[in-house]
Amino acid sequence: MSRFSNRIALGVGLVVFLAAPVILTGSYFKFLLILVFIYAIVSIGLNILIGYAGQFSLGHAGLMAIGAYLSAIVSMALGEYPVLVWTGANVWIGMLAGTIAAGLAGAALAFPALRLKGPYLAMVTIAFGWVIWKTLLNWTSVTGGDLGITAIPRPRFGAEIFGVTAYYYLAGGLMIAAFALQRNLVFSDFGRKIRALKHDEVAAASVGIDVHREKVAVFVISATFAGLGGALFAHLQNFINPDDFQFVNSIFFLLTILFGGAGTLVGPLIGAALLTLIPELLQDAERFRLIIFAVLILITLFFLPRGVAGMLPVAQSRRGSPRSEASPGPVAVEISGGVSSARTDESPTLTVTGIGKRFGGVTALKDVSMAIETGRVHALIGPNGAGKTTLVNILSGFYRPDGGSIVVANRETRLLSLHHAARLGISRTFQTIKLFGEMTAREHVMVGCELQSEAGVIDALLHDARHRDEERRRRELADALLEFVGLAARADAPATSLAYGHRRLLEIARALAGRPRVLLLDEPAAGLVAGEIETLALLIEKLRAGGLAIVLIEHHMDLVVAVSDAITVLDYGEVISRGTVEAVRRDPRVVEAYLGTAEDQRYLFARG
Amino acid sequence: MFFFFQILLNGIATGAIYALIAVGYSVTFTTMRVLNFGLGMWVMLGGMLTYSLYVAWDLGIVVTALGVAALLGLLGVVAERFTVRPFVKAGSEAWVMATLAVGLLYVDIAELVWGRNSLAVPGFLGENVIRLGAVGVYPQQLLIVAATVAAFLGLDYFYYRTLWGSAFRAVAHNPEVARLMGINAGAIATASYALAGILAGFAGMLVVPITTADPQMGAVLGLKAFVVPIVAGLASPRGILFCGVAYGAIEGLISGYLFSGIRDILAFALMIVILYFRPEGLFGRPSFERA
Repeated sequence: MSRFSNRIALGVGLVVFLAAPVILTGSYFKFLLILVFIYAIVSIGLNILIGYAGQFSLGHAGLMAIGAYLSAIVSMALGEYPVLVWTGANVWIGMLAGTIAAGLAGAALAFPALRLKGPYLAMVTIAFGWVIWKTLLNWTSVTGGDLGITAIPRPRFGAEIFGVTAYYYLAGGLMIAAFALQRNLVFSDFGRKIRALKHDEVAAASVGIDVHREKVAVFVISATFAGLGGALFAHLQNFINPDDFQFVNSIFFLLTILFGGAGTLVGPLIGAALLTLIPELLQDAERFRLIIFAVLILITLFFLPRGVAGMLPVAQSRRGSPRSEASPGPVAVEISGGVSSARTDESPTLTVTGIGKRFGGVTALKDVSMAIETGRVHALIGPNGAGKTTLVNILSGFYRPDGGSIVVANRETRLLSLHHAARLGISRTFQTIKLFGEMTAREHVMVGCELQSEAGVIDALLHDARHRDEERRRRELADALLEFVGLAARADAPATSLAYGHRRLLEIARALAGRPRVLLLDEPAAGLVAGEIETLALLIEKLRAGGLAIVLIEHHMDLVVAVSDAITVLDYGEVISRGTVEAVRRDPRVVEAYLGTAEDQRYLFARG
Repeated sequence: MFFFFQILLNGIATGAIYALIAVGYSVTFTTMRVLNFGLGMWVMLGGMLTYSLYVAWDLGIVVTALGVAALLGLLGVVAERFTVRPFVKAGSEAWVMATLAVGLLYVDIAELVWGRNSLAVPGFLGENVIRLGAVGVYPQQLLIVAATVAAFLGLDYFYYRTLWGSAFRAVAHNPEVARLMGINAGAIATASYALAGILAGFAGMLVVPITTADPQMGAVLGLKAFVVPIVAGLASPRGILFCGVAYGAIEGLISGYLFSGIRDILAFALMIVILYFRPEGLFGRPSFERA
């Protein structure tokens, strides 16, 4: 139903788009619509960044300015050559240069700035936009200072100079292309990754996503859209000056997507159209521009948290998850082999020696050694605060140890980060469940399949054969893994709707998707009821049988005793005992750590 | 050499203003992890009010200061209740936009009330330049430095010697536990927002005799002052005072010896570089994430 109505909406939109210049006489409205298209291109880019990847930018006017100024300057410089002018190539080259330059500027800004989160990032981007604006004002010899640049050429084709109607089709066509790219991107492997990191960067990194790199990539894409918008703007207006690219313009673009609906495909179009046309229809609005903006922002934030598009049923169905295709049917992925056979070549798989970690003055771990072998379950137990999670954080690359060595598959390695460890085949779950918001169970696992990806962002943008093929394989693996953990029936359910126990299982399925050699389970039974713990025990048995090396942190001793091949006991950051279940159970030091010394007990009981 | 000292002194006075605004960011951040992105506009509002109270109505500096504090404090209470708290409670980051929106609102309102012109405000201690050898200082500049130092000392006293200050620090450290101890974390949040507004208002009041008051003055001040807590570390008032003054001085030296157009570009580049290597700021302590 929604797919059908989407097609109708698309068809009607296309007809209106093509017919509008014929119906509208006079260039004023065409000009306005071209502005809408240009703003929509910038807004779409910003929507990918903010709506889908969750990274703020309040400096897009600065990126747009780079596109506009460079395109103007290049096309005017190339205007010296009649051949280029006659074919319009001077303008096309200029626009291309402006667009690319904005992308590069975006990379230069994003690389340091995206190490920062939320509010800091917002402020740095504000500062960026402001620096660009100041540069435009002060670098008079190139930018013309506050007068700006005039007599910017329109593209031409032979003797024909692009009029308003031709420009309408140019800008409109590019906007449609931008929209299509946005759609492809969102419904792709890359889109899934950025939506995942929006919800939880730590969890995204744990399945091998290089969070920083992906964020920079999104920013560059977003900046490129802004640059294209700027270039189109410059050649439409024929003149530009720094006032066109102020902070308030950055706010305008942010507002278009907030108002239209951040994180929806059509949101930026709706926002750009309404916010361009409404003030134009209100006479004398210029004087109250900031008040209108401010009030709109507040109203939107309070009453339309999902924007105008959030109220449309069509847009709702298009939000987020990809369309479900016909059920793939029985899949030929053999789990016991498929999960881990590729990595069962070495033994022991992961060895740490003499690991230490201090936080300020607190020693969390001291001289800890551990060998984790293929096809075995290593339990890690100890009282609260013994350093178990710190050790898992080190094994998974989340913390760097102060000293000691880590050997993965017979090679000494420094685990640089969560995603680095994941790429070496060390996968983990979290004590407090970390999932990706309302993304579906299948999408969670597909995000985890990132490791096998050969296709890049460009394949994702174009949805080419390579990308489609990989997506199919990822989907098959994801469905097989969901089946394996017993969540096949919930594959299309948003993770937010899953029961607690199912969320734990989903985390395990996600961790398995990268075909790890080592799986670190940080209190997987916490919060589970007895029946669920039995299911978990069976699952762990199956994974061990499949050749996976498993590290299990757990307080549920029934589970530990049932599945463990070896136990390591930590207390105050040191290994106090290790060995088989029986040996550890009899070790007086373990009894002491858990229950105190015999001396203590006598004291307690005598008093009690 | 005299030129050097002259611009250094001017820079220190400007830096003191940055520090005063910057600590406003810090106050709300430490208590509720919220930054008032429109804080520069609150500075502007303080400046415009100073014009009305001190120049137009000639009420004297004490009444002016009280008026600025009362109005901005009140606005702070209202803004926190209606544009910050609902979003923070909902776990949304929409407060970023909401605090900005309030700032934009102030700019247009100020233009409607006071017009778009720059309004001159005389120095509170007169306009006679004090000569120290060949170097000249406006009494207002000395007042700015003195008032800023006093404000920071007062803040220090408040944080470490008063019950309310302890409550502020407790909420900053862990709002949940503070709440369990019977501290009204909501009231602390409101109070910190109002305090930030008052500090910004004072900064505006102190700066307008030097810069003149106009509705557009806020954005730049707010933005530059934001560099300071980022570089210093948001939770370190002493670091903020030091970095604020240093920033003003360096900025003065750059525009004195190089060229003023490049000043802000260098400053922001510096901020980005520092953030890259020390995200917690020069005086901040690194925090450990948990997984």
